[in-house]
Amino acid sequence: MDNRPKIAFFQCQWCLYAPEDQEWVDKSLPENIHLIKVPCTGRIDPLFVLNAVQGGADGVVISGCLPEKCHFKEGNLAARRQLDAFSSFLDYIGYDEARVRFIWLDLQDRGRIQRELTEFESLLKKLNPAKSLATRVPETEGGAND
Amino acid sequence: MTELEQKIRAEAARLLSEGLVDVVMAFRKEDAPLRPQPAFFTCVEDLENLIYNGLCANNLANYLTRYPDETRIGMLVRGCENRSVNALVVEKQHSRQNLYLIGVPCTGIIDWRKVVALTGEDILGYEETDSSLHVRTKRQSYQLPRRELLHASCQRCVHPNPLSADIVLGEALPEGDPALIRERVEAFEALTRAERTAYFKQEAERCIRCYACREACPMCYCEECFVDHNSPRWTESGTTPAGTHAWHIIRAFHQTGRCTSCGACERACPMDIQMTYLTDKLGKDMWDSYQFAAGMDAKSQPPFASFTLDDRKHFQAGGMHS
Repeated sequence: MDNRPKIAFFQCQWCLYAPEDQEWVDKSLPENIHLIKVPCTGRIDPLFVLNAVQGGADGVVISGCLPEKCHFKEGNLAARRQLDAFSSFLDYIGYDEARVRFIWLDLQDRGRIQRELTEFESLLKKLNPAKSLATRVPETEGGAND
Repeated sequence: MTELEQKIRAEAARLLSEGLVDVVMAFRKEDAPLRPQPAFFTCVEDLENLIYNGLCANNLANYLTRYPDETRIGMLVRGCENRSVNALVVEKQHSRQNLYLIGVPCTGIIDWRKVVALTGEDILGYEETDSSLHVRTKRQSYQLPRRELLHASCQRCVHPNPLSADIVLGEALPEGDPALIRERVEAFEALTRAERTAYFKQEAERCIRCYACREACPMCYCEECFVDHNSPRWTESGTTPAGTHAWHIIRAFHQTGRCTSCGACERACPMDIQMTYLTDKLGKDMWDSYQFAAGMDAKSQPPFASFTLDDRKHFQAGGMHS
Protein backbone atom coordinates (compact mmCIF):
# COMPACT_ATOMS: atom_id res chain seq x y z
CA MET A 1 0.00 0.00 0.00
CA ASP A 2 2.80 2.42 0.87
CA ASN A 3 4.16 2.67 -2.62
CA ARG A 4 0.76 3.09 -4.21
CA PRO A 5 -0.25 6.69 -4.94
CA LYS A 6 -2.62 8.17 -2.39
CA ILE A 7 -5.88 9.38 -3.87
CA ALA A 8 -8.53 11.57 -2.28
CA PHE A 9 -11.85 10.66 -3.86
CA PHE A 10 -14.66 13.18 -3.48
CA GLN A 11 -17.89 11.54 -4.50
CA CYS A 12 -21.30 13.12 -4.94
CA GLN A 13 -23.68 10.70 -3.31
CA TRP A 14 -26.11 10.84 -6.24
CA CYS A 15 -23.69 10.36 -9.11
CA LEU A 16 -23.37 6.57 -9.12
CA TYR A 17 -26.61 5.36 -10.62
CA ALA A 18 -25.87 1.65 -10.54
CA PRO A 19 -26.22 0.16 -7.04
CA GLU A 20 -23.31 -2.20 -7.78
CA ASP A 21 -21.00 0.75 -8.39
CA GLN A 22 -22.01 2.49 -5.19
CA GLU A 23 -21.61 -0.74 -3.28
CA TRP A 24 -18.16 -1.26 -4.72
CA VAL A 25 -17.15 2.30 -3.78
CA ASP A 26 -18.57 1.96 -0.28
CA LYS A 27 -17.16 -1.45 0.51
CA SER A 28 -14.31 -2.47 -1.76
CA LEU A 29 -12.23 0.62 -2.44
CA PRO A 30 -8.50 -0.12 -2.32
CA GLU A 31 -6.82 1.23 0.81
CA ASN A 32 -4.88 3.91 -1.00
CA ILE A 33 -8.10 5.63 -2.08
CA HIS A 34 -9.69 7.75 0.61
CA LEU A 35 -13.41 8.26 0.04
CA ILE A 36 -15.08 11.52 1.02
CA LYS A 37 -18.76 11.31 0.26
CA VAL A 38 -20.55 14.61 -0.18
CA PRO A 39 -24.22 15.48 -0.75
CA CYS A 40 -23.35 17.23 -4.02
CA THR A 41 -20.19 18.39 -5.79
CA GLY A 42 -21.37 21.89 -4.86
CA ARG A 43 -20.48 21.01 -1.28
CA ILE A 44 -16.79 20.61 -2.15
CA ASP A 45 -15.11 23.77 -0.99
CA PRO A 46 -11.74 24.31 -2.73
CA LEU A 47 -10.38 24.31 0.80
CA PHE A 48 -11.26 20.60 1.06
CA VAL A 49 -9.21 19.93 -2.05
CA LEU A 50 -6.33 21.96 -0.66
CA ASN A 51 -6.51 20.02 2.60
CA ALA A 52 -6.24 16.78 0.66
CA VAL A 53 -3.22 18.14 -1.21
CA GLN A 54 -1.58 19.41 1.96
CA GLY A 55 -2.36 16.13 3.66
CA GLY A 56 -0.23 14.34 1.06
CA ALA A 57 -2.67 13.24 -1.63
CA ASP A 58 -0.88 12.39 -4.87
CA GLY A 59 -4.11 12.86 -6.75
CA VAL A 60 -7.64 14.15 -6.25
CA VAL A 61 -10.71 12.69 -7.94
CA ILE A 62 -13.99 14.54 -8.02
CA SER A 63 -16.97 12.64 -9.33
CA GLY A 64 -20.32 14.24 -9.90
CA CYS A 65 -23.35 14.38 -12.12
CA LEU A 66 -23.63 15.81 -15.63
CA PRO A 67 -25.09 19.33 -16.00
CA GLU A 68 -28.82 18.57 -16.21
CA LYS A 69 -28.63 15.61 -13.85
CA CYS A 70 -27.81 17.45 -10.62
CA HIS A 71 -30.02 16.35 -7.73
CA PHE A 72 -30.07 19.97 -6.56
CA LYS A 73 -30.50 21.40 -10.09
CA GLU A 74 -27.33 23.48 -10.25
CA GLY A 75 -24.88 22.49 -7.52
CA ASN A 76 -22.58 20.85 -10.05
CA LEU A 77 -22.55 23.96 -12.26
CA ALA A 78 -21.26 26.08 -9.39
CA ALA A 79 -18.78 23.38 -8.43
CA ARG A 80 -17.33 22.99 -11.89
CA ARG A 81 -16.56 26.67 -12.31
CA GLN A 82 -14.89 26.89 -8.92
CA LEU A 83 -12.99 23.62 -8.94
CA ASP A 84 -11.76 24.04 -12.53
CA ALA A 85 -10.36 27.44 -11.64
CA PHE A 86 -8.92 26.04 -8.44
CA SER A 87 -7.11 23.16 -10.11
CA SER A 88 -5.48 25.51 -12.60
CA PHE A 89 -4.61 27.84 -9.71
CA LEU A 90 -2.92 24.95 -7.90
CA ASP A 91 -1.03 24.24 -11.10
CA TYR A 92 0.15 27.85 -11.09
CA ILE A 93 1.87 27.32 -7.76
CA GLY A 94 3.22 23.94 -8.68
CA TYR A 95 0.69 21.15 -8.08
CA ASP A 96 0.32 19.44 -11.45
CA GLU A 97 -3.13 19.96 -12.94
CA ALA A 98 -3.11 16.35 -14.15
CA ARG A 99 -3.34 15.25 -10.53
CA VAL A 100 -6.86 16.64 -10.24
CA ARG A 101 -9.38 14.63 -12.21
CA PHE A 102 -13.05 15.32 -12.74
CA ILE A 103 -15.39 12.46 -13.56
CA TRP A 104 -18.85 13.59 -14.59
CA LEU A 105 -21.03 10.49 -14.66
CA ASP A 106 -24.13 9.68 -16.65
CA LEU A 107 -26.88 7.10 -16.24
CA GLN A 108 -25.26 4.65 -18.66
CA ASP A 109 -21.83 4.77 -17.02
CA ARG A 110 -22.12 1.49 -15.16
CA GLY A 111 -18.69 0.32 -14.05
CA ARG A 112 -16.93 3.43 -15.34
CA ILE A 113 -15.85 4.63 -11.90
CA GLN A 114 -13.67 1.54 -11.35
CA ARG A 115 -12.01 1.92 -14.74
CA GLU A 116 -11.40 5.63 -14.20
CA LEU A 117 -9.85 5.11 -10.77
CA THR A 118 -7.56 2.36 -12.05
CA GLU A 119 -6.51 4.44 -15.00
CA PHE A 120 -5.92 7.49 -12.82
CA GLU A 121 -3.83 5.43 -10.42
CA SER A 122 -1.60 4.17 -13.20
CA LEU A 123 -1.15 7.76 -14.40
CA LEU A 124 -0.15 8.86 -10.90
CA LYS A 125 2.36 6.04 -10.69
CA LYS A 126 4.18 7.55 -13.65
CA LEU A 127 4.36 10.94 -11.91
CA ASN A 128 6.49 11.22 -8.81
CA PRO A 129 4.77 11.46 -5.44
CA ALA A 130 3.42 14.99 -4.88
CA LYS A 131 5.49 16.32 -2.02
CA SER A 132 5.82 20.02 -2.72
CA LEU A 133 2.66 21.17 -0.97
CA ALA A 134 2.23 18.23 1.42
CA THR A 135 2.97 20.21 4.52
CA ARG A 136 0.27 19.28 6.96
CA VAL A 137 1.35 17.58 10.16
CA PRO A 138 -0.07 14.04 10.20
CA GLU A 139 -3.25 14.00 12.19
CA THR A 140 -3.51 12.05 15.37
CA GLU A 141 -6.75 10.40 16.21
CA GLY A 142 -9.17 12.59 18.13
CA GLY A 143 -7.04 15.66 17.43
CA ALA A 144 -8.22 19.16 16.81
CA ASN A 145 -8.52 18.51 13.10
CA ASP A 146 -11.12 15.82 13.45
CA MET B 1 -3.29 73.16 -0.37
CA THR B 2 -3.52 72.03 -3.95
CA GLU B 3 -6.25 73.01 -6.34
CA LEU B 4 -7.56 69.47 -6.35
CA GLU B 5 -7.75 69.39 -2.56
CA GLN B 6 -9.69 72.62 -2.66
CA LYS B 7 -12.20 71.15 -5.08
CA ILE B 8 -12.60 68.00 -2.97
CA ARG B 9 -13.15 70.05 0.19
CA ALA B 10 -15.69 72.27 -1.55
CA GLU B 11 -17.60 69.28 -2.84
CA ALA B 12 -17.48 67.56 0.56
CA ALA B 13 -18.65 70.76 2.25
CA ARG B 14 -21.54 71.03 -0.18
CA LEU B 15 -22.62 67.43 0.46
CA LEU B 16 -22.49 67.83 4.24
CA SER B 17 -24.06 71.27 4.46
CA GLU B 18 -26.90 70.39 2.11
CA GLY B 19 -27.49 67.24 4.11
CA LEU B 20 -27.05 64.97 1.10
CA VAL B 21 -24.79 62.55 2.97
CA ASP B 22 -24.26 61.53 6.58
CA VAL B 23 -20.53 61.03 6.32
CA VAL B 24 -17.73 61.80 3.88
CA MET B 25 -14.90 59.28 3.68
CA ALA B 26 -11.56 60.71 2.62
CA PHE B 27 -8.10 61.27 4.10
CA ARG B 28 -6.69 63.54 6.75
CA LYS B 29 -3.22 64.78 7.56
CA GLU B 30 -0.98 62.09 8.94
CA ASP B 31 0.40 61.63 12.43
CA ALA B 32 3.30 59.61 11.06
CA PRO B 33 5.26 61.03 8.14
CA LEU B 34 4.22 59.95 4.63
CA ARG B 35 1.13 58.11 5.83
CA PRO B 36 -2.13 60.06 5.44
CA GLN B 37 -4.94 58.39 7.32
CA PRO B 38 -8.47 57.51 6.29
CA ALA B 39 -10.89 59.96 7.85
CA PHE B 40 -14.63 60.14 8.30
CA PHE B 41 -16.04 63.65 8.23
CA THR B 42 -19.48 64.34 9.63
CA CYS B 43 -19.40 68.13 9.94
CA VAL B 44 -18.19 70.91 7.69
CA GLU B 45 -15.79 72.41 10.27
CA ASP B 46 -13.63 69.27 10.28
CA LEU B 47 -13.06 69.46 6.56
CA GLU B 48 -10.04 71.73 6.99
CA ASN B 49 -8.16 68.55 7.93
CA LEU B 50 -9.07 66.86 4.67
CA ILE B 51 -6.08 66.24 2.43
CA TYR B 52 -5.47 64.34 -0.74
CA ASN B 53 -2.14 63.44 -2.30
CA GLY B 54 -0.25 60.54 -3.81
CA LEU B 55 0.57 59.04 -0.44
CA CYS B 56 -3.05 58.25 0.48
CA ALA B 57 -2.58 54.49 0.37
CA ASN B 58 -5.74 52.93 1.79
CA ASN B 59 -8.55 51.65 -0.39
CA LEU B 60 -11.47 53.56 1.11
CA ALA B 61 -14.02 51.10 -0.23
CA ASN B 62 -12.82 48.90 2.61
CA TYR B 63 -14.82 51.02 5.08
CA LEU B 64 -18.04 50.87 3.10
CA THR B 65 -19.17 47.60 4.62
CA ARG B 66 -18.76 48.96 8.16
CA TYR B 67 -21.78 51.24 7.74
CA PRO B 68 -25.38 50.07 7.67
CA ASP B 69 -27.08 50.16 4.30
CA GLU B 70 -29.18 53.26 5.17
CA THR B 71 -26.14 55.45 5.85
CA ARG B 72 -25.67 57.90 3.03
CA ILE B 73 -21.97 57.96 2.31
CA GLY B 74 -20.02 60.45 0.28
CA MET B 75 -16.65 59.05 -0.59
CA LEU B 76 -13.52 59.95 -2.42
CA VAL B 77 -12.87 57.34 -5.11
CA ARG B 78 -9.94 56.74 -7.40
CA GLY B 79 -10.09 54.23 -10.25
CA CYS B 80 -9.51 51.13 -8.15
CA GLU B 81 -11.76 52.30 -5.32
CA ASN B 82 -14.56 52.94 -7.77
CA ARG B 83 -14.23 49.40 -9.11
CA SER B 84 -14.20 48.01 -5.58
CA VAL B 85 -17.36 49.98 -4.81
CA ASN B 86 -18.99 48.55 -7.94
CA ALA B 87 -18.07 45.02 -6.91
CA LEU B 88 -19.44 45.63 -3.41
CA VAL B 89 -22.68 47.03 -4.81
CA VAL B 90 -23.03 43.89 -6.97
CA GLU B 91 -22.62 41.85 -3.79
CA LYS B 92 -25.30 43.97 -2.09
CA GLN B 93 -22.99 45.40 0.55
CA HIS B 94 -24.39 48.91 0.11
CA SER B 95 -27.12 50.49 -2.01
CA ARG B 96 -25.73 52.54 -4.84
CA GLN B 97 -28.42 55.15 -4.26
CA ASN B 98 -27.02 55.80 -0.78
CA LEU B 99 -23.57 56.47 -2.15
CA TYR B 100 -22.20 59.68 -3.59
CA LEU B 101 -18.88 59.06 -5.27
CA ILE B 102 -16.45 61.95 -5.62
CA GLY B 103 -14.16 60.68 -8.36
CA VAL B 104 -10.52 61.61 -8.76
CA PRO B 105 -8.41 60.30 -11.66
CA CYS B 106 -5.40 58.75 -9.97
CA THR B 107 -1.78 59.16 -10.97
CA GLY B 108 -0.73 56.26 -8.74
CA ILE B 109 0.00 55.77 -5.08
CA ILE B 110 3.51 56.46 -3.81
CA ASP B 111 5.07 53.65 -1.80
CA TRP B 112 6.26 55.26 1.43
CA ARG B 113 8.65 52.36 1.97
CA LYS B 114 10.48 53.24 -1.22
CA VAL B 115 10.76 56.84 -0.04
CA VAL B 116 12.10 55.78 3.35
CA ALA B 117 14.58 53.43 1.71
CA LEU B 118 15.98 56.34 -0.30
CA THR B 119 15.96 59.06 2.34
CA GLY B 120 16.05 57.45 5.77
CA GLU B 121 13.39 57.75 8.40
CA ASP B 122 13.87 61.26 9.79
CA ILE B 123 11.45 62.89 7.37
CA LEU B 124 10.25 66.37 8.29
CA GLY B 125 8.01 67.16 5.39
CA TYR B 126 7.27 66.57 1.74
CA GLU B 127 5.77 68.23 -1.26
CA GLU B 128 4.35 66.57 -4.29
CA THR B 129 4.29 67.73 -7.89
CA ASP B 130 3.10 65.96 -11.04
CA SER B 131 6.49 64.43 -11.74
CA SER B 132 8.37 64.38 -8.47
CA LEU B 133 8.30 64.24 -4.70
CA HIS B 134 10.38 66.67 -2.66
CA VAL B 135 11.30 65.24 0.69
CA ARG B 136 12.99 67.19 3.49
CA THR B 137 14.89 65.32 6.19
CA LYS B 138 16.96 66.66 9.07
CA ARG B 139 20.13 66.55 7.03
CA GLN B 140 19.18 67.35 3.46
CA SER B 141 16.34 67.51 0.97
CA TYR B 142 15.69 65.14 -1.88
CA GLN B 143 13.91 65.42 -5.19
CA LEU B 144 12.68 61.97 -6.18
CA PRO B 145 11.04 60.99 -9.48
CA ARG B 146 7.40 60.17 -8.79
CA ARG B 147 7.00 57.41 -11.38
CA GLU B 148 9.69 55.25 -9.76
CA LEU B 149 8.19 55.62 -6.30
CA LEU B 150 4.82 54.18 -7.25
CA HIS B 151 3.55 50.94 -5.85
CA ALA B 152 4.09 48.00 -8.18
CA SER B 153 0.34 47.47 -8.61
CA CYS B 154 -0.10 51.17 -9.44
CA GLN B 155 2.61 50.94 -12.08
CA ARG B 156 0.53 48.18 -13.68
CA CYS B 157 -2.79 50.04 -13.24
CA VAL B 158 -5.19 49.69 -16.17
CA HIS B 159 -8.09 51.98 -15.20
CA PRO B 160 -6.86 55.04 -13.28
CA ASN B 161 -10.10 56.94 -13.92
CA PRO B 162 -13.23 56.44 -11.80
CA LEU B 163 -15.76 54.57 -13.94
CA SER B 164 -19.07 55.44 -12.31
CA ALA B 165 -18.46 58.45 -10.04
CA ASP B 166 -21.22 60.99 -9.50
CA ILE B 167 -18.79 63.82 -10.05
CA VAL B 168 -15.23 63.69 -11.37
CA LEU B 169 -12.73 66.31 -10.22
CA GLY B 170 -9.61 66.75 -12.30
CA GLU B 171 -8.60 65.77 -15.80
CA ALA B 172 -9.18 62.25 -17.08
CA LEU B 173 -5.96 60.27 -17.52
CA PRO B 174 -4.97 57.88 -20.32
CA GLU B 175 -5.82 54.23 -19.66
CA GLY B 176 -3.02 51.89 -18.64
CA ASP B 177 -1.72 48.94 -20.60
CA PRO B 178 -3.51 45.67 -19.67
CA ALA B 179 -0.55 43.70 -21.05
CA LEU B 180 1.57 44.61 -18.01
CA ILE B 181 -0.47 42.44 -15.63
CA ARG B 182 -0.86 39.70 -18.20
CA GLU B 183 2.84 39.56 -19.05
CA ARG B 184 3.78 39.26 -15.40
CA VAL B 185 1.42 36.32 -14.91
CA GLU B 186 2.59 34.69 -18.13
CA ALA B 187 6.23 35.10 -17.14
CA PHE B 188 5.46 33.30 -13.89
CA GLU B 189 3.56 30.56 -15.71
CA ALA B 190 6.57 30.05 -17.96
CA LEU B 191 8.79 29.07 -15.03
CA THR B 192 9.23 25.39 -14.23
CA ARG B 193 6.91 23.80 -11.71
CA ALA B 194 9.69 23.57 -9.10
CA GLU B 195 10.59 27.25 -9.55
CA ARG B 196 6.98 28.31 -9.15
CA THR B 197 6.58 26.30 -5.96
CA ALA B 198 9.87 27.64 -4.60
CA TYR B 199 8.81 31.23 -5.23
CA PHE B 200 5.40 30.68 -3.70
CA LYS B 201 6.93 29.11 -0.60
CA GLN B 202 9.56 31.79 -0.25
CA GLU B 203 6.84 34.45 -0.25
CA ALA B 204 4.14 32.68 1.74
CA GLU B 205 6.39 31.35 4.47
CA ARG B 206 7.47 34.82 5.54
CA CYS B 207 3.86 35.44 6.55
CA ILE B 208 3.27 36.22 10.23
CA ARG B 209 -0.49 35.71 9.92
CA CYS B 210 -1.33 39.25 11.02
CA TYR B 211 -4.13 39.37 8.42
CA ALA B 212 -3.34 42.98 7.51
CA CYS B 213 -3.97 42.00 3.87
CA ARG B 214 -7.45 40.84 4.81
CA GLU B 215 -8.21 43.95 6.84
CA ALA B 216 -7.02 46.25 4.06
CA CYS B 217 -9.00 44.47 1.35
CA PRO B 218 -12.42 45.90 0.49
CA MET B 219 -13.61 42.50 -0.73
CA CYS B 220 -12.71 40.69 2.52
CA TYR B 221 -15.75 41.54 4.58
CA CYS B 222 -16.90 38.13 5.90
CA GLU B 223 -18.15 38.22 9.47
CA GLU B 224 -16.05 35.17 10.15
CA CYS B 225 -13.07 34.35 7.99
CA PHE B 226 -12.31 30.71 7.20
CA VAL B 227 -9.06 30.96 9.15
CA ASP B 228 -10.84 32.18 12.28
CA HIS B 229 -13.36 29.39 12.21
CA ASN B 230 -12.35 26.87 14.83
CA SER B 231 -15.03 24.26 14.99
CA PRO B 232 -14.02 22.53 12.82
CA ARG B 233 -10.71 24.22 12.17
CA TRP B 234 -10.26 24.20 8.39
CA THR B 235 -6.62 25.23 8.27
CA GLU B 236 -3.64 25.29 10.56
CA SER B 237 -3.74 28.58 12.39
CA GLY B 238 -0.04 29.00 13.15
CA THR B 239 2.81 30.27 11.01
CA THR B 240 3.68 26.74 9.96
CA PRO B 241 4.24 26.14 6.24
CA ALA B 242 0.87 24.40 6.02
CA GLY B 243 -0.87 27.33 7.68
CA THR B 244 0.75 30.10 5.67
CA HIS B 245 0.36 28.23 2.36
CA ALA B 246 -3.30 27.61 3.00
CA TRP B 247 -3.89 31.22 3.96
CA HIS B 248 -2.26 32.58 0.83
CA ILE B 249 -3.87 30.08 -1.52
CA ILE B 250 -7.40 30.34 -0.19
CA ARG B 251 -7.33 34.07 0.51
CA ALA B 252 -6.36 34.66 -3.10
CA PHE B 253 -8.89 32.14 -4.35
CA HIS B 254 -11.74 33.80 -2.47
CA GLN B 255 -10.95 36.89 -4.54
CA THR B 256 -11.53 35.11 -7.85
CA GLY B 257 -13.59 37.36 -10.10
CA ARG B 258 -13.83 39.92 -7.28
CA CYS B 259 -10.33 41.33 -6.98
CA THR B 260 -9.91 44.70 -8.69
CA SER B 261 -6.09 44.62 -8.49
CA CYS B 262 -5.87 47.69 -6.28
CA GLY B 263 -2.88 46.22 -4.45
CA ALA B 264 -4.12 47.24 -0.98
CA CYS B 265 -3.10 43.80 0.33
CA GLU B 266 0.53 44.26 -0.65
CA ARG B 267 0.59 47.84 0.61
CA ALA B 268 -0.67 46.65 3.99
CA CYS B 269 1.73 43.72 4.34
CA PRO B 270 4.37 44.37 7.01
CA MET B 271 6.53 41.57 5.62
CA ASP B 272 6.54 42.90 2.07
CA ILE B 273 5.11 39.66 0.70
CA GLN B 274 4.14 39.51 -2.96
CA MET B 275 0.48 38.54 -3.33
CA THR B 276 -0.83 40.16 -6.48
CA TYR B 277 0.83 37.54 -8.70
CA LEU B 278 -1.77 35.15 -7.25
CA THR B 279 -4.86 37.33 -7.56
CA ASP B 280 -3.79 38.62 -10.97
CA LYS B 281 -3.54 35.04 -12.22
CA LEU B 282 -7.12 34.42 -11.14
CA GLY B 283 -8.21 37.68 -12.70
CA LYS B 284 -6.58 36.65 -15.95
CA ASP B 285 -8.26 33.22 -15.84
CA MET B 286 -11.66 34.83 -15.28
CA TRP B 287 -11.08 37.10 -18.24
CA ASP B 288 -9.94 34.24 -20.48
CA SER B 289 -12.76 31.88 -19.50
CA TYR B 290 -15.68 34.23 -18.91
CA GLN B 291 -14.59 37.63 -20.32
CA PHE B 292 -15.22 39.05 -16.88
CA ALA B 293 -13.30 41.78 -15.10
CA ALA B 294 -14.33 42.71 -11.58
CA GLY B 295 -15.95 46.05 -10.80
CA MET B 296 -16.33 47.37 -14.32
CA ASP B 297 -20.01 48.04 -13.65
CA ALA B 298 -22.42 47.76 -10.75
CA LYS B 299 -24.59 45.03 -12.31
CA SER B 300 -22.59 42.06 -13.62
CA GLN B 301 -22.38 39.07 -11.29
CA PRO B 302 -18.94 37.51 -10.89
CA PRO B 303 -18.42 34.18 -12.73
CA PHE B 304 -18.79 31.98 -9.64
CA ALA B 305 -22.23 33.47 -9.00
CA SER B 306 -23.49 33.46 -12.57
CA PHE B 307 -23.13 29.85 -13.73
CA THR B 308 -25.65 28.61 -16.27
CA LEU B 309 -26.57 25.41 -18.05
CA ASP B 310 -24.62 26.75 -21.04
CA ASP B 311 -21.56 25.66 -19.12
CA ARG B 312 -22.36 22.11 -20.18
CA LYS B 313 -19.92 22.21 -23.06
CA HIS B 314 -17.11 22.49 -20.52
CA PHE B 315 -17.99 19.25 -18.77
CA GLN B 316 -15.85 16.54 -20.32
CA ALA B 317 -18.11 13.66 -21.26
CA GLY B 318 -15.16 11.26 -21.27
CA GLY B 319 -15.41 7.48 -20.99
CA MET B 320 -18.03 5.86 -23.13
CA HIS B 321 -19.35 9.12 -24.53
CA SER B 322 -16.18 10.63 -25.87
